[in-house]
Amino acid sequence: MRILIVEDEKSLASEIKQFLVKEDYNIDLAHTGEEASELISVNPYDFILLDIGLPDYNGLDLIKEAKKYNSEAYFIVITARGELEDKIKGFDLGADDYLPKPFSLLELLSRIQAITRRKFGHQESVIKFGGFSLDTNKKHFQFKDKSISLTKKEYKLLSYLVLNKNRVLDRLQLTEHIWGEFYEDDYDSNYIDVHIKNVRKKLAEFDNTNWIKTVRGIGYKFEF
Amino acid sequence: MKIPNLKLKSQLALFNAFSKALIITLLVFLIPWLVSRISIQDTDKLLIQKLDQVIELVDSLGIETYIDMDAEFQAFGSYNILKEEYISIEPIRTDTTINIIQYSERIIEDELVDYRVLSYSIEENDNNYLIEIGKSISVILRFEHNLKQFAFIFLIFIITLTFIFDLSFIQYLLRPFERIVSKLKYTKHPTSFNYQPVNTNTSDFIYLDETIHSLMRKIEAAFNDEREYISNVSHELLTPVSIIQSKLDNILYESNLSEADMMKIFESKKTLRRLTNLVRTLLMMSRIENEEYILTEDVNVNKVLQNVVEEIEDKAIAKELEIKMELKANNFIFKGNDNLLFTLFYNFVNNAIRYTDKGHVEIVSKQKNNQFSIQINDTGAGIKKEKIPQIFSRFKNSNETKDSYGLGLALSKKICDYHKIIVEVKSEVNKGSSFILLFP
Repeated sequence: MRILIVEDEKSLASEIKQFLVKEDYNIDLAHTGEEASELISVNPYDFILLDIGLPDYNGLDLIKEAKKYNSEAYFIVITARGELEDKIKGFDLGADDYLPKPFSLLELLSRIQAITRRKFGHQESVIKFGGFSLDTNKKHFQFKDKSISLTKKEYKLLSYLVLNKNRVLDRLQLTEHIWGEFYEDDYDSNYIDVHIKNVRKKLAEFDNTNWIKTVRGIGYKFEF
Repeated sequence: MKIPNLKLKSQLALFNAFSKALIITLLVFLIPWLVSRISIQDTDKLLIQKLDQVIELVDSLGIETYIDMDAEFQAFGSYNILKEEYISIEPIRTDTTINIIQYSERIIEDELVDYRVLSYSIEENDNNYLIEIGKSISVILRFEHNLKQFAFIFLIFIITLTFIFDLSFIQYLLRPFERIVSKLKYTKHPTSFNYQPVNTNTSDFIYLDETIHSLMRKIEAAFNDEREYISNVSHELLTPVSIIQSKLDNILYESNLSEADMMKIFESKKTLRRLTNLVRTLLMMSRIENEEYILTEDVNVNKVLQNVVEEIEDKAIAKELEIKMELKANNFIFKGNDNLLFTLFYNFVNNAIRYTDKGHVEIVSKQKNNQFSIQINDTGAGIKKEKIPQIFSRFKNSNETKDSYGLGLALSKKICDYHKIIVEVKSEVNKGSSFILLFP
């Protein structure tokens, strides 16, 4: 999987690269629109992460250009300008997703994975643990042959934990993923715990393994 | 008395109609008087002319031609068969000169007729004679009547003609002005102004149009500068935050940190999140001030309320609070901004949940006397009376025990003002608060 990161802020670009390289992605960096434009015209990319606020280039023009050479590439637009107008325009031009700065690297990864699952193969779409299987394509969860009903939020929570198994997910990441970025101002609220409790209860009906570990004060980890 | 606001065109037309009406009333009273003056003068002139002719005849032919000196009854009289005119000559005894014109009655052939009579005395052959020339009043009146009728028709014709002419001229003259006004009227936002110049020969309007254009350009430039500034500030503030956050994420995933170190990083992330929300809220407020949000979406308010509750009910469940909803007037559609209204309701409901530890949060929407309103009640901590005026100011918190950064309500107030929604607050300490939103 080859990804181009177009981000004028070098420090941020290298952090994203560092994180994604570990996830076995092939990463190219472009710090200017000019560089990006050159790279796009010669290399085939699967993903292009584009900061729309480039100093030397109109990010939206870059999408148009890239669509010419790299019609197969998927776009995730990153912006710190937060203009709704650009958001809409970005989607019109064929951006597949949109992330406002600051975002967590895990959220970026999960967006990439979601698009990949949606557009590519189906083999990876069913994740099995114990007797459970989670079909991320059909958004369906079952134990052996018996289907388990989850609410929308419970499903989102469980699949996020499962997809990032063996990794500590802090409360912020979980809220950001499930509730989006609301203009929130209280973070110590334990409402995520309510959902965790319900999910655990539903899992425990079939299996006694403690799949979801609590990391005290921070969040949760799905161990498998 | 309050004079209603009218368009310039209508005011001019009204004034025009009023002045014309004034002229008509004036002439209705004046014309009869004028006409009778004219007809009397005319008659009198005619009588004098005839007198001159008669005197001339008497002088040249001699009085004897008309009066038989030997006859017992010395007089001359002549009239036409319709008795419209008569001329008489008769001797008089007095020496006084008579020269008058007056109305007078005469009996001719046993019939009493009103005449305008010119009486004039002359001396002929040492005798005094009185010449009388009369014109029947009915003839004068008939003439007068005809004249009056003609005058009225002419007057009405002229007035109507000038009125129509004036109106169309006013209309023509003011058309550019109306264009300028409608250009302003249809400009909902400085960036959508139509800079097409108005076609006119009136220098005042050209000046007005040009001045408005240059002002609009300045406003638009200021607006765009502000928008760019906000966007740049947003970028400048959030990019460093993003860098730090990514670094923290990488530290968290890369190394085998002790639980205590992980905790520290998590705390830092929380602080960053706080900073991010602060920046976002401030930017949102600036964008509202700069009127960047469109207000033309058809928003089903009750639906937005339901979405808010769906989104927020986890918090209430976590605190074991009941959310009661009583939504009426379900087809109430409000022209506004969907996202802003969502944020507004979210903030109020979120606050209600945050400051309530026991009891319930109640959301009521209703329409009464064409007034749609939303009420958000809680059974929470309440606000001290003297603190109520301050709750919508930035960075002032009514509740000293919980740390909040006091922007939520300030933002809510801004969104309300932007939508012309009125907020009322009722609160009692330890009993709860009510926020009432009155829609325009």
